[in-house]
Amino acid sequence: MGIALLMLVGGVGVGIFGSLLGLGGGLLIVPLLTLGFGLPLRESIGVSLVCVIVTSGASAGVFLERRVANLRLGMVLELFTAMGALLGGLIAFLLDERLLAGLFAALMAYVAITMARPKRREARPLPARANGASTADSPAPPDAGTAAAAAEAAAATATPTAAATTTPAAEATAAPPEDGFVARLSGDDYRIRNLVPGFGGSIVAGVASALLGIGGGLVKVPVMHLLMGVPLRVATATSNLMIGITASTSAWIYLIRGGIDPYATGPTAIGVFVGASIGSRIAHRLDVRALRLLFTVVLLYTAYEMGRRALGLS
Amino acid sequence: MVTRAAGLEGRIARVLRVGTYGAVTLIAIGVVVMLAGGRSPLDVAPALDPGHLLGDLVALRPEAFLWLGLIAVLATPAARVAVSVAGFWRAGDRAMATIAILVLTVILLGVVIGLAAPGPRPSAS
Repeated sequence: MGIALLMLVGGVGVGIFGSLLGLGGGLLIVPLLTLGFGLPLRESIGVSLVCVIVTSGASAGVFLERRVANLRLGMVLELFTAMGALLGGLIAFLLDERLLAGLFAALMAYVAITMARPKRREARPLPARANGASTADSPAPPDAGTAAAAAEAAAATATPTAAATTTPAAEATAAPPEDGFVARLSGDDYRIRNLVPGFGGSIVAGVASALLGIGGGLVKVPVMHLLMGVPLRVATATSNLMIGITASTSAWIYLIRGGIDPYATGPTAIGVFVGASIGSRIAHRLDVRALRLLFTVVLLYTAYEMGRRALGLS
Repeated sequence: MVTRAAGLEGRIARVLRVGTYGAVTLIAIGVVVMLAGGRSPLDVAPALDPGHLLGDLVALRPEAFLWLGLIAVLATPAARVAVSVAGFWRAGDRAMATIAILVLTVILLGVVIGLAAPGPRPSAS
């Protein structure tokens, strides 16, 4: 019982801090289970996929009802994230766990550096309370803030010319609405572009999700926002909506091939779900700057441990 | 211009909410039964056996609730897409309905591929 409670409490902690910082659940769940409880990495990734589906499910519904998420665009891109996830789910069982650990360490280091970078303005994660109405019954969307930060960081490093041409607001006024498939995927105040490159980015997001047990927002949000001209808020909500299909496609493969253990998944998923719900309730009351610094250190340390595992040193 | 699929977002939201909370409830019951039975999360659970799932539920075996909850988690996004197919079709948006069907096909392909190539438990590797 002690280990189950520890796992439950660990899940609650991961859910709370993930929600407060907008970190993807998988980014914290996988190290918790692998380094904290000694689960095999691949099994931890399977558990993580289940957790990100659970935490995204309720909040995705809220953002759909409020028309923040773009259902049509999400559906089109889901076709490609699902194909990527299918590919990643198959590759995951062929790769050595040390290689997976190395990939995970690289991802954690990237996110830590992204979080540590000073921002011109605070990346605005999808608010836990949209349009002034409470969404406290729903967990905050996974990886909203981190993906938004990644999108903003990428925008900050873009050349002035490129940045100017990738500003969604500018794009929204550049061309009048037109009839056709692209127009139907666009919103009232923005127009989708670079659809085909967006398909490629979605495939990459799907592969990354399946290999590392993450929602994939770190790839999807920048692709939609910077490449396709979707406003950041809509991109984040649409990415959250897409997590279910992206993660479940590979999670079915993990489940059928014995990569998801229900005993380990149960306490972790409940803990993360409860923690994310708590986090979304208290997020607006807290100053998360100190937490962000703390977690940058934690992420770097975890990346170091994962790196040691990748090199066979632990 | 194709008519907007009126109310589709609301229907999908309901599917997501019912599926998620239903799945979480099943998993929570499974965790409680697991703890009551003195099992550890680090024990290896019995493999999923769909043929015995109902009997195991009646016998209050924790893995039955947990497996059912996990299946509900994984099936909820697919159910959301299935609802979208019907919604887009009724709204006359054949292109989006076709894309939704293709999404379901890719998910189904994952299930088929998983079944066709069963692998060893990761914990055994």
